[in-house]
Amino acid sequence: MVDALVVADLNKSFKTPAVQGLDLVVRTGELYALLGPNGAGKTTTLRMVAGLLAPDSGSISVFGIDVLKSPLEAKKVIAWAPDEPMLYDRLTPLEYLEFVAGLWNVPPALAAARAEDLLQTLGLWEDRNRRCEGFSRGMQQKAALAGALIHDPKLLILDEPLTGLDAAVARQVKDLLQARVAAGATVILTTHILEVAERMADRIGIIQGGRLLAEGTLDELRTRTASQGGTLEDIFLELTGDHGAPGA
Amino acid sequence: MKPFSGGVAQMLRGTTAGLVFHELRLSWRAALARSGGGVRGLVIICLVILAFTGFAGVPLGYVLRHYQLPISRLTIILSDLGLLAIASLMVSQTLSTATESLYQRGDLDLLFTAPIPPRRTLAARFMALAVTVFLTFALMVSPLLIPVAIISHPSWLAFYLVLASTALGAAAMGLALSTFLFRLIGARRTRAVAQVIAAIIGASFFLVSQVNTFVGKSQSQGIWAQAKALALDESFKLPPGADIPLRAMIGEPLFLLGYTLGAVILFFAVSSWLGDRFAADAAMASGADTANAPTKAQAARWETSAFRAIFRKEVRLLWRDAALVSNVLLRTLYLIPLAYLVIRSARGDTGLVLAAAAGGLTFMAGQVAGTLAWITISAEEAHDLLAGSPTRQGIIRQAKLAAAYLPLVIFLAPLLAYLVWVAPVVGGFALGGCIASAITCGLINIWYQKPSKRKDFRRRKGSSWFATLAEASVAALIGLATTFATLGNVWALLPSLLAIGLMMLLRRSEAQIALALED
Repeated sequence: MVDALVVADLNKSFKTPAVQGLDLVVRTGELYALLGPNGAGKTTTLRMVAGLLAPDSGSISVFGIDVLKSPLEAKKVIAWAPDEPMLYDRLTPLEYLEFVAGLWNVPPALAAARAEDLLQTLGLWEDRNRRCEGFSRGMQQKAALAGALIHDPKLLILDEPLTGLDAAVARQVKDLLQARVAAGATVILTTHILEVAERMADRIGIIQGGRLLAEGTLDELRTRTASQGGTLEDIFLELTGDHGAPGA
Repeated sequence: MKPFSGGVAQMLRGTTAGLVFHELRLSWRAALARSGGGVRGLVIICLVILAFTGFAGVPLGYVLRHYQLPISRLTIILSDLGLLAIASLMVSQTLSTATESLYQRGDLDLLFTAPIPPRRTLAARFMALAVTVFLTFALMVSPLLIPVAIISHPSWLAFYLVLASTALGAAAMGLALSTFLFRLIGARRTRAVAQVIAAIIGASFFLVSQVNTFVGKSQSQGIWAQAKALALDESFKLPPGADIPLRAMIGEPLFLLGYTLGAVILFFAVSSWLGDRFAADAAMASGADTANAPTKAQAARWETSAFRAIFRKEVRLLWRDAALVSNVLLRTLYLIPLAYLVIRSARGDTGLVLAAAAGGLTFMAGQVAGTLAWITISAEEAHDLLAGSPTRQGIIRQAKLAAAYLPLVIFLAPLLAYLVWVAPVVGGFALGGCIASAITCGLINIWYQKPSKRKDFRRRKGSSWFATLAEASVAALIGLATTFATLGNVWALLPSLLAIGLMMLLRRSEAQIALALED
């Protein structure tokens, strides 16, 4: 089976190098957590995968599609949800989903059915005709997530999807992501809540300074760091040599 | 490292002066952001001011060296009218800003939780409002006023004090009006209505000056001629105190003191009276009823193409944004007298006036199109969503431009159709000019786009000064070409070629646009 994401020797510099010779493989149907301290290059990497940023060199392939050569083809199967919800204050959730479905050319009947299903699942159906401008952070995040899922992406990329959410909303989002993975989608997420990665992720990648430090299941990482029985936090701190919390 | 090192701000912390300083610093930085050119932009603005001072202010100072301004009926009427125009623009500006304070009040939340009396916080904000308005107008008059004062009439520097006093009075009026609206029509509608009123007040002086165009009198009878006629009309009695502004402007101490004291008393009376009400209104405005208004439920319309989805989204957002609608309304108000002139001249077959009006219409079409294109292209809250979608950039831009042109087409189509019917040649050139002007201004906004959140956008209230200047220049050249072409004059080629050349200079490649966006 073709891998969901293959990144090879990826490089990107702004004023200083952000990503350096990064190699990454995410298998189809897994939930992959990309961790790293602040400024490690996580968001830059994911923005390049989503086609929002051009790399200086290297290659990115999504389900066998070369993102750099065929960006539009690749974008058809990707959804990108950044930490700051991409919403329009003056649109209602339903109008927002109409708009996003149009961008991905989702057939109208299918889009309508999916929108209702997503808004019901995320508890936004009652608010479907209210403008997003007064929504709480959690409601905004859920509306943005519904937008990301309206075209049923094969690869869902989420940057800090649980930041600022209360326990109930965070549970809804986690359940939805796990349901998507169970249905065959691939999810890549970054998070600074290590317990989330520990409990949800099939595999975990830890990057620092734009390079991949380690990758594998939790057990594989434990073996690698000789941290038997240690938590992901122990492994993370040992690998990064960082005694602060991991960040975006 | 010291936790705080901001010298003046630290020294004045918590005082009214400190709060005013904070407000002014924010305004200054917003102005810098609006200029889009940073230090380079400031240098260019300074050079333009210096050039204007040298080429207009200094000669004017020498011309007026032996001239003593008479206190006559004519000068009193003219100075009163001038000050009225300035005051109306100032009220427009303060009304608009005062309502923003009620609604976009993230910083008021911060300030109100600080151990500072809310009344002081608001007094400082009101004061900063007046100072900002004053500085705007002072900057405009300085290139003429300073050389004139230095070379011939030092006492005319009193005009600055008159301007400052007028700004205080205008701020008081703007604040009173916004509070009155809040009480009358509630929080939600206040912003929309206030923005529209501000736009109308802003344009009112221009519209009043065009009354003769509407009523059909001689087109040559401008403000000057009207003022002169009024001055000669013995039956017209000047109201008592009508000479105070003029005498204050030229520095007669007692009148200057009276005018200033009046404004200061008005300002402090109003801000003291409104202080507590304004704080209460600001607190109420934070409720869900203002921000999370339900939208009329509509049957969902699932679009079948990206173009239609983007077009529909942009039209919705344009329609729902009162601040932006008023911005556009302000510009379209200026189109009304031009439109009327076109219709009247077309019927009366007055060639030169018609040609000039067609050129003016072309210019304004470009300006309105530019404003709307700037809104739809750069005020994009979900830029990454569009960039991450499988939609070609070309489709996104076409849809955004189409949405921007829609209001303009609705306004201009009947007028141009009428013109083509009555005077086909003129109508044809005007139509071509309007299309060219709208397209070029749209393209400039694509080349120099600066995506930003819509709410931040409103606060900045402007695009890059460079793009704005480029738009105005190209639209003016096309307007000139339209005028010449309408007259059948071969000189139409010159501005046309200049406009083409300017567009070629301004053009940015896809790679350049992408690079600018990445920065």
